Amino acid sequence: MLKIEALEFSYPSVPASTMHFDLTVDVGEVLSLIGPSGSGKSTLLSLIAGFLPASGGRILVDDEPLHNLPVAERPVSIVFQQHNLFPHLDLYTNVALGIEPSLRLAPIQVEAVRGALARLGLEPMQRRKPGELSGGQRQRVALARALVRQRKILLLDEAFAALGPALRAELIELVKTLVAEHDMCALLVSHQPSDASIASARSAFICEGRVAAIAATAQLLAQSEPPQLRDYLGSG
Amino acid sequence: MTMSRAMPASLVLAILALLVLSPMAGLLHLSALPGYEAVDPRFWENAYLRRVVFFSLWQALLSTLLSVLPAILVARAFAMQPQLPLRRLLLGLFALPLVVPAVVVVMAVVSVYGSNGWLPLGRSLYGINGILLAHVFFNLPLAVRLLLPQWQAIPQHHWQLGEQLGMNTWQRFRFIEWPMLRESVPGVSLLIFMLCLTSFAVVLTLGGGPRSTTVEVAIYQSLRFDFDPAQAVVLALLQLGLCMLVAMLTLKLQRMPAVEIALSIAYRHRALRLRWFDLGIILLATLYVGMPLTSLLIDALRGPLGQTLGDLRLWQALANTLFIGLSAALLSVTAGWFLLQYSASLAEQGHSRRARLVDLAGSIVYVVPPLVIGTGMFVLLAPHVDVFDWVYPIVIAINALMGLPFVIRCLGPAMRQNHARYHRLCQALALRGWHRFRHLEWPLLRRPLGLAIALVAVLAMGDLGVIALFGSTQSATLALMIYQQLGAYLVAQASVTAVLLLLLCLGVFALLERCIGGSRDAKN
Repeated sequence: MLKIEALEFSYPSVPASTMHFDLTVDVGEVLSLIGPSGSGKSTLLSLIAGFLPASGGRILVDDEPLHNLPVAERPVSIVFQQHNLFPHLDLYTNVALGIEPSLRLAPIQVEAVRGALARLGLEPMQRRKPGELSGGQRQRVALARALVRQRKILLLDEAFAALGPALRAELIELVKTLVAEHDMCALLVSHQPSDASIASARSAFICEGRVAAIAATAQLLAQSEPPQLRDYLGSG
Repeated sequence: MTMSRAMPASLVLAILALLVLSPMAGLLHLSALPGYEAVDPRFWENAYLRRVVFFSLWQALLSTLLSVLPAILVARAFAMQPQLPLRRLLLGLFALPLVVPAVVVVMAVVSVYGSNGWLPLGRSLYGINGILLAHVFFNLPLAVRLLLPQWQAIPQHHWQLGEQLGMNTWQRFRFIEWPMLRESVPGVSLLIFMLCLTSFAVVLTLGGGPRSTTVEVAIYQSLRFDFDPAQAVVLALLQLGLCMLVAMLTLKLQRMPAVEIALSIAYRHRALRLRWFDLGIILLATLYVGMPLTSLLIDALRGPLGQTLGDLRLWQALANTLFIGLSAALLSVTAGWFLLQYSASLAEQGHSRRARLVDLAGSIVYVVPPLVIGTGMFVLLAPHVDVFDWVYPIVIAINALMGLPFVIRCLGPAMRQNHARYHRLCQALALRGWHRFRHLEWPLLRRPLGLAIALVAVLAMGDLGVIALFGSTQSATLALMIYQQLGAYLVAQASVTAVLLLLLCLGVFALLERCIGGSRDAKN
């Protein structure tokens, strides 16, 4: 379980506005984070991943604190909207980097890489470079790498925002399956409320650096409070 | 509209052809006459020629390696330290060698590494050691400025992924940085190789006799000291061949960064010991670049200031320097403007190949070194006129030609963008001629225009190539005067003159860039 308790952060350029987060994500759950641009969704993911240092609060995974761990030692994998893959390396190598950056893999690790590529339907194209793939295929490779890393937390930072609705829905379903199969906790940042409907039983509305509302997704998308949520959904 | 742009551009192209091709034709014609052995296949048996060619290539290769390899470390250190105090100032210092005349650099190198310098090398300074020290002084900062923006091009997410995947420093370099570097290092290396191959002032003043002479300097010596135009023709053709070879390789491998470069980079995590390593590298490079200029300044202040500044010839040389520099800049920018206007309109109409050819024509001096053009003019004009009477128009024209590639590089991208964005709007509003210049081109292009004029002016002011070939005591510029003072062993006076030339170049550069380019904060 991922638990975020009174996690605080402020950008040096705007020290007056401190962000403050509290939430939990259960094992096997994909929690969607929706909210307007600049509300703090991606900042929250960066805090969990360790790219930004929190000024207060705790991040716990199965009751183990991780906010003091260096980035590489956190049980976290992240998939961005773009630039997830190194363009000069083939798919196999991009995924293998997730296990061991030296690329000196034991036979069992080689099998793991091949297995992940096969699981995501990418095995026939494992020697291709990312430039030869479609946007959806590239995100699949990033998911394959997240899979071989076997980390408990999966962060998806607008990972599917550049894809069309059908492909987005397909990849979100894939994420749900992978998260359930591997007992992971996932946080999905999206601008599209429809993504939250597909991905999550529960969603959180982030606004002005806070979790302004958290509820069952259908309920959240229907409710009229807080007013910023109404403005965001355009349902005023 | 294209026709009205084609006319002045065609005139410029015709003048370019005349300036470049007629001296070349003259050289080729001469090479076919009896007694001129350029077409004799046995010319390679001449030991002197072989030695000169070998030394030219060898010093250019060593200079390139010694500039580019450390520059990768220095640029990386700057890239990894975005919050370094005085970073902007230090990078400003690294831009300085781009506007400091070569002969001033020579004086600065002598000041540190000469017999009375802080790190004396004694007589071994003259020869390959001195040439390398001066070339690295010029080209290490240039390579740093060209390579640093490559780190900017790395997506922020790649750094973050590298961190999350637990990559160590070597793995980050291998997977994230090297793929970016290997795209640009060959182009940067070849550019520096070409600059060192055609370097004149440094080799002329720091080269140690026939053992340390390049083709470029040998041409000059053949004409001015040996009075042997036949040998000058052979050497000029050899130099042309070498330059064309390097230029073709450069064109094939080139992926140069744009002139407008962003020097900031967002990156944070770096182990403490690596941060100290970065700081050490930056400190060493800063000392290497800063020390010679500081030492030269101290030498000049201790030197015979009153005696040197009281010499009327110095002020005459200063006036000549300004006249040549400003005239060449004006001529070069005017020619470049017409060429670029034409190439922009060609590109807009979809004739991108023809547009590129027009741009390439303006950069012809990359392939045909100015000293080769000068030599051609010398042998063409000498039978008919006293070439030393024609010194100003010849020197101004060749310096303007040398400045054209800079004009095209500084002004070209902005002008093409301007044309693509606003040309149709201008047509719709019937905005043309002076009104178009006043309302559109001047406000939007004055920054790169200012930079181009300033760059060409200081290049021409510091040039010691063509003026050494055609100049006399009366027509001497400050650069030539420094060379003459060095030749007469008046090192102390030469230091004062060098600092005066340095201050003049920096002043003119700042003034032109500020006056024409406008305030840095101005939002155009």
